[in-house]
Amino acid sequence: MKKELKFKVNGEDYDLWVEPKTLLVQVLRDELGLKGTKWACDSGACCACTVMVDGRAVKSCSILALQVNGKEVMTVEGLANGPELHPLQQAFIDNWAFQCGFCTSGQLMAAKALLDENPDPTIDEIKIAMDGHLCRCTGYNMISEAIQDAAKRLQAQKQQEGGK
Amino acid sequence: MSEYSVIGKPIKNVDGVAKVTGEAVYAFDMTLPNMLYGKLLRSPHPHAKIISIDTTEAQKLPGVKAIITGKDTPGGKWGLWRRYPELCDQTALATEKVRYIGEPVAAVAATSIDIAERALDLIQVEYEPLPAVFDPLEAIKDDAPLVHEDFENNINATRHIEWGNVDEAFKAADYIREDRFTLSSQHHAPMEVHNALASYDKGTGRLTVWASTQSPYFLQLGLADALKMREGDIRVIKPHVGGGFGGKNSTMPESVNAALLSKKTGRPVKIVYNREEEFIATEHRTAMNLAIKIGLKKDGTILAKEVKIITDGGAYTGLGATTLYLAGTFITFPYKTPNYRYDGFRTYTNTMWSSSMRGFGAVSTVYAAETQLDRAAHDLGIDPLEIRRRNAMTPGYEAPGQYKVESCGILECIDKMKERVKEKWPKLEKDEGIGFATFAYMSGGIFNWIDTPYAFSGAMVKVNIDGTVDLFTQASDIGQGSNTVAAMICAEVLGIDVEDIRLHLGDTAITLTDLGAWGSRETLMNGNAIKAAAEEVKKKLISVARMKLGENIVYDLVVKNKRIYLELRPERGFSYYDIVRDAIKENDGEPLIGIGHYTPHNKGMISPAYGMGIQAVRAKVDRETGHIELRDVIVVHDCGQTINPLGARGQVEGSTQMGLGFGLCEEILMDNGLIINPSFVDYKLIRFRDMPPIELIDVPTYDPEGPFGAKEAAEATASPGAAALANAVYHAVGAEFDTNVLRPEKVLKAIREKEKKDRAGK
Amino acid sequence: MANYRCPCCRKITSDTMDLARHFLGQTDRKHKDWLKTKGLSYAQLIRWQGTEFGNKGYKALAELLEKEAPRVE
Repeated sequence: MKKELKFKVNGEDYDLWVEPKTLLVQVLRDELGLKGTKWACDSGACCACTVMVDGRAVKSCSILALQVNGKEVMTVEGLANGPELHPLQQAFIDNWAFQCGFCTSGQLMAAKALLDENPDPTIDEIKIAMDGHLCRCTGYNMISEAIQDAAKRLQAQKQQEGGK
Repeated sequence: MSEYSVIGKPIKNVDGVAKVTGEAVYAFDMTLPNMLYGKLLRSPHPHAKIISIDTTEAQKLPGVKAIITGKDTPGGKWGLWRRYPELCDQTALATEKVRYIGEPVAAVAATSIDIAERALDLIQVEYEPLPAVFDPLEAIKDDAPLVHEDFENNINATRHIEWGNVDEAFKAADYIREDRFTLSSQHHAPMEVHNALASYDKGTGRLTVWASTQSPYFLQLGLADALKMREGDIRVIKPHVGGGFGGKNSTMPESVNAALLSKKTGRPVKIVYNREEEFIATEHRTAMNLAIKIGLKKDGTILAKEVKIITDGGAYTGLGATTLYLAGTFITFPYKTPNYRYDGFRTYTNTMWSSSMRGFGAVSTVYAAETQLDRAAHDLGIDPLEIRRRNAMTPGYEAPGQYKVESCGILECIDKMKERVKEKWPKLEKDEGIGFATFAYMSGGIFNWIDTPYAFSGAMVKVNIDGTVDLFTQASDIGQGSNTVAAMICAEVLGIDVEDIRLHLGDTAITLTDLGAWGSRETLMNGNAIKAAAEEVKKKLISVARMKLGENIVYDLVVKNKRIYLELRPERGFSYYDIVRDAIKENDGEPLIGIGHYTPHNKGMISPAYGMGIQAVRAKVDRETGHIELRDVIVVHDCGQTINPLGARGQVEGSTQMGLGFGLCEEILMDNGLIINPSFVDYKLIRFRDMPPIELIDVPTYDPEGPFGAKEAAEATASPGAAALANAVYHAVGAEFDTNVLRPEKVLKAIREKEKKDRAGK
Repeated sequence: MANYRCPCCRKITSDTMDLARHFLGQTDRKHKDWLKTKGLSYAQLIRWQGTEFGNKGYKALAELLEKEAPRVE
């Protein structure tokens, strides 16, 4: 029997009725049409479906939609500020940190969660935080570099804002 | 510095914004109104006769709209080796018998995936299991069960290559060694699984298919053969593709059955594999048994090589017959081999079939040749880099009747590597080793087994009145960045910016034929087509400008930085925009269009150009556990003129990851035809923490056949990783391997064997 | 100079080694059946050629073809 799910996605309020077995990734992709979040392994082992739930990186294939009732979800579609890309997105572009792009949304969301918590990570800290996010194209190094680059940009942004 | 405005500059990916915002649409993301969901029922037996299939119960399930079995299909057979009808062995659904675990026998279309899956459970299939064969060496025996009745001894394809006088050369050799290897399979593991959405138009009898494919054209041909339809009635559209790596060249059952179900129901049908299906029922790298004999002079000069390969083909052909040829070719690269003999046999077995995978033919053979060369160097007391240097090909090197290598920077690559390693890794820790392996690969193949009458690549450039450009090409960007390269080449010729170009891609109804993204062909082959198309337009612009200038015919004009001007007097010229406007307006509004195409000619049997280089891996071995820690990698490569250094580095990084995976952790484990690790939990890819940093050093050359001198940069670097790693372990602890995946237990065993040998020697 | 014709198809060549290579490259039944009638096994030839060094499979087949293949001018 369907149950009510009230939650926020990228700042918007949603009120839906879903089957209890429905996964968060299914609601995001199939109900809300947010197809930026990918689904790639069926076993919780690739992290391509990562989104943020109340600020933490979560695999949306490994959590029931009803578990986010009352919570705030952020997907890759919520990362940019209108037409203005988030520094992480720009850093991914500038550092060629994606190729096919299928794992990129998950990488970006995990990177955002990491930088929110640790604004100046070392390469080793990035590797530990991102480990498990499979990428078949890039070989990871350029993603790590992009995340460090984004950290610098975000810090510069903060300083600028603080200076105002 | 370079004279180019765009070529050689780090240009950001033209698909970048779409891919970082989640807006890029993959076939995986697509739906159509009124769409049905398809699922395939797969065989649990590796080899069995199909006695009966009963779909009665499944048909009754509400929401089930169609079920088909083999007898409902038009019975068309297909394959990539279309020139050889007997090798077109694939079918939509097995009818008489199944040949591998996972072979589809029925297809269901329903209103939801859940219902389609429930319907599969209700289909009753009666099988009569047959004796099966899994080992290629067993498969060729006279009493082995036949996978295909028409292929005795299960021989699917054979290849013999020979030049020089091998037997005489071995007699003259000072040192001969023979080594045997068992090289395992590897899965492409693209992040986007195989999937296709088919929509059959009842009114026109035409079919449109959106699919995750590396070659819309191959898929169009495969569908035409399978469905017995006209090519022109089938339109294949390739949206963004979430990785291919050689695994999406063949037309696979998902697209054919989606089309059949759409035809039957009159509604769009989508079939998406799950990850388990992706592992058990899509192609993978060709596993092989390989024997290699090498004859050297005392100083390390190669006199002769003889190579024997029997590959595990699996149940169907795919591109496996090409693998067989390339294996026999690239095991000689990048060394001068005056006398050479190769025999390759591809066997049918009752397993999911093997085909192309990044660096196909090269990855496995480089492992054998390069680890053997290190052992030979050790025996002869020659430095590993020195023995490679001594045998390195030089520009213009020719293997009689087979290939000619025009541009060739391998010597410089080896020299640069020597310098850099000395500087960067002056001292090693205990149980740490450095291993080297060279590599080379083609820039597109000169084979036409697909039997296309079209040019290998085609492109069209349309210039609009405001100077913006529409570029139409079927070059398949599957992540490697060929869209960016395409725009860059066009922009360079027309003297405009990449941002001025809008790309129209991967649609067989709109773009000119291109054979697709395999064998590293897009930069050279499609690049040449785009260059030719843009140059046709450029010629028209120049003639308009020349007329306006009224200059002497001997003066050359340049199109650059949005101006067209006299080369010797740059101040005399016009704006590109004005000339475009004049070219159209003054010419009765004739569309300003250029069409280009490319097919290699007189370039031997393999490829018009070869990318190459050398890789070094520094690794540490834990003698207690057998664990290998990858520490550092240096790659020195020659990819001709780099088109986009950002993209080229991405290719080297990514293919190095895949090559190291082949040596460290990636292995398809099989038990009587059943793949027992069909998930990312059990099939181990290299992860963030495993990946060492890579230093890339570029040795630029200019290849006369490549656009602006460019060659491949995408696949060659997938080959050396496993070999360099094994050589690093060899130099660290003296352990030798005859297989490629160096799991800790294998390393430990090899260390024990080495210790035993040392004790016995004392 | 005398040429050799493949006993099972129309392939003509001047060299029996070359003919042997052609012969073993054919995957149809006709060629294999002919071998059987001459007491050679296709499987055995493949195993020699595909696992042992020194062209053993071709040499054995070339010897047979030297005796059996029809000559043409």
